[in-house]
Amino acid sequence: MISTIGIDIGSGAVKSALFRSDGDQHEWLAKRCERIRRRDPMQLAQEVYEGVLADAGLKPEAVDYIATTGEGENVKFATGHFYSMTTHARGGVFLHPGINAVVDVGALNGRAIYVDDRGKVLSYKMTSQCASGSGQFLENIARYLGVAIEEIGPLSKTSQNPEKVSSICAVLAETDVINMVSRGIATNDILKGIHLSMASRIVKLLKVTGIKEGSALLTGGLALDTGLLAAIQEEMVNEKVNVTAMSHPDSIYAGAVGAALWGAFRHGKLRELEERAAA
Amino acid sequence: MRCFIGIDLGSTTTKAVVIDESRNVIGRGITNSRSNYDTAAKIAKQEALLNGRFYLFRQALGDSGALNGALDTFLAQLERSFRYEQYLEQLADLEATCQRSVATAKFGDATASVSAALAEVFRRLATQSAALFAPGAKAKSDFFRDIAGSQYLATGEVVAKESGIRYDFLLNVFDRSIIEVENRVYSDSIKRHLLSALERTFVTLPETASRREKIEAPIKGILDTALEETYVVGTGYGRARLPFSKEHIRSEILCHGLGAHVMHPGTATVLDIGGQDTKAIQVDPHGIVESFQMNDRCAAGCGRYLGYIADEMNMGLHELGPMAMKSTKTIRINSTCTVFAGAELRDRLSLGDKREDIMAGLHRAIILRAMSILARSGGIRNEFTFTGGVAKNEAAVKALKDLVRENYGALTLNINPDSIYTGALGGATFAWRAVVEEGKIAEARS
Repeated sequence: MISTIGIDIGSGAVKSALFRSDGDQHEWLAKRCERIRRRDPMQLAQEVYEGVLADAGLKPEAVDYIATTGEGENVKFATGHFYSMTTHARGGVFLHPGINAVVDVGALNGRAIYVDDRGKVLSYKMTSQCASGSGQFLENIARYLGVAIEEIGPLSKTSQNPEKVSSICAVLAETDVINMVSRGIATNDILKGIHLSMASRIVKLLKVTGIKEGSALLTGGLALDTGLLAAIQEEMVNEKVNVTAMSHPDSIYAGAVGAALWGAFRHGKLRELEERAAA
Repeated sequence: MRCFIGIDLGSTTTKAVVIDESRNVIGRGITNSRSNYDTAAKIAKQEALLNGRFYLFRQALGDSGALNGALDTFLAQLERSFRYEQYLEQLADLEATCQRSVATAKFGDATASVSAALAEVFRRLATQSAALFAPGAKAKSDFFRDIAGSQYLATGEVVAKESGIRYDFLLNVFDRSIIEVENRVYSDSIKRHLLSALERTFVTLPETASRREKIEAPIKGILDTALEETYVVGTGYGRARLPFSKEHIRSEILCHGLGAHVMHPGTATVLDIGGQDTKAIQVDPHGIVESFQMNDRCAAGCGRYLGYIADEMNMGLHELGPMAMKSTKTIRINSTCTVFAGAELRDRLSLGDKREDIMAGLHRAIILRAMSILARSGGIRNEFTFTGGVAKNEAAVKALKDLVRENYGALTLNINPDSIYTGALGGATFAWRAVVEEGKIAEARS
């Protein structure tokens, strides 16, 4: 029996997950998530770490491995760090066994990861250089429109005539939205238009990974946006990509879960090596 | 007299320039671009014509010698008094509008007390207002929304606390009313305000009152002269929405090229960094555009980039340049995207880099983007003219000078204090050409 904690530092939120593992049996004991909101991510990493320990009723010395992922390279109390592509893949497969791809939509980046049934990364593609179509972008727009984050998805799904937007700069979107509002376009149509533009970017990423069919799990901060999920599904049909998009209530923890599971794996390997060396 | 007018409808501000028959710039006007482009264009034009009146006052009073030595003081006081009159009218309008919004708002039992608090706020604003237009008073902004807004917010907070009503009720009333007030054009009252301002000026500067008749005559004469809007040309981001026929619209590239040429006749290359786009334009010796490149739909390398950074740092936009000038170390910013640069800024601050060094790096980054656009447009040729709002930022200018010297050697760099009006000046020049050289007459929108 070993206990591990995964900590995923993103650009929008810090997540942690605590697992107890026995060989291939993994039990998820606790989870915590804190939005960063201009606070110090390192401080929040400490908080979510202490949070899961308290929730599981464990002492720090009872934890065998603390694994970080995302921007967590500099967390001082960590045992090791894992690349986020691998942790999201592993976490996605744990949450939803049988999926063929993980699509992570975070605050600043989006990535599509094609995986095998054990969560091994077959290929991946991620956005870079530009925050258009990222979570931050959607958040900016929602703020200009005066829509709360939880309302975005339900509103978007009521749209009948989505307003087409080309890929627009996350910063200049402000004036674009002002123009749309002044042209009298309804809030739900604006949001749906943006969801479709984000979806087209995401589906393009997914296509490049080489996936032909199956299902893709949405992870990251935007995974619970039902409007985005619906838009991705529409876009898959339009683009003739034979992949079903799905989400999971704990999707936001995929990175932290993956880190904890990889931590358990590495801890086991290290112990094997030690035992062999001792013998 | 015949006037030729150019209006540049930008994403942040709307500018207008008026020139006369001999192509002298007689007036410039600027206002914030509101959600309503028609109003922004009207007000910018009205401001420019008003500025033109002052130009004519100066000319006439200077010629008559009625104010020998005291001309600048007198005109400055006249303008302040005029702004004060105008402010009082708008403030009264804002109060009436606010009271109307209270009546229709859903404040329930609080309606009466909100209305009373509102009356108290405006009573205090009226007493405070004279100080805003006193000699030497520093205005943070020339726009009514900003001046009245900051006064209202500060006074409203105090009054809300004193009278025990919710502050956000007052905020809500202001937000709903200011748009309405901001979109009214007070064109009828300009002459009346100028006349009352003249009376006020004689009171404030009693030594001029003895020469009253000699001063009054030319001013009244100019007020009776109609400034005929002979031809108007519109340009800029919002030009498609101006109430003009197609004949009266020119692209901002053409107007910026020509405007820069009029300001600095030796101009061969123009760089314009505005709020939402960056343009590099090559012009021939007549100010006609040969080629151009622009960066559109991406905030990296535009003025908005600095605006976003200022928001991230909780600073005013005009504070960024001076801070960056204090830098002692070069920091390279690796992100292109504005949002990523904001994240990089936070990372670097948490790693212990100094704010001023990061700022200098960010200014260098925006100019580097401009350099690549310039290179794609055909490079930089002598003379080189830098225009747009960012040309006012000393750190951006310094970064540009350094990079131009490194890449192109010694060149003449022109930066005009009125460079924000470059596009409007180009438009006004097109208007002049249309009438004087091509014999066109103004056309209504079809």
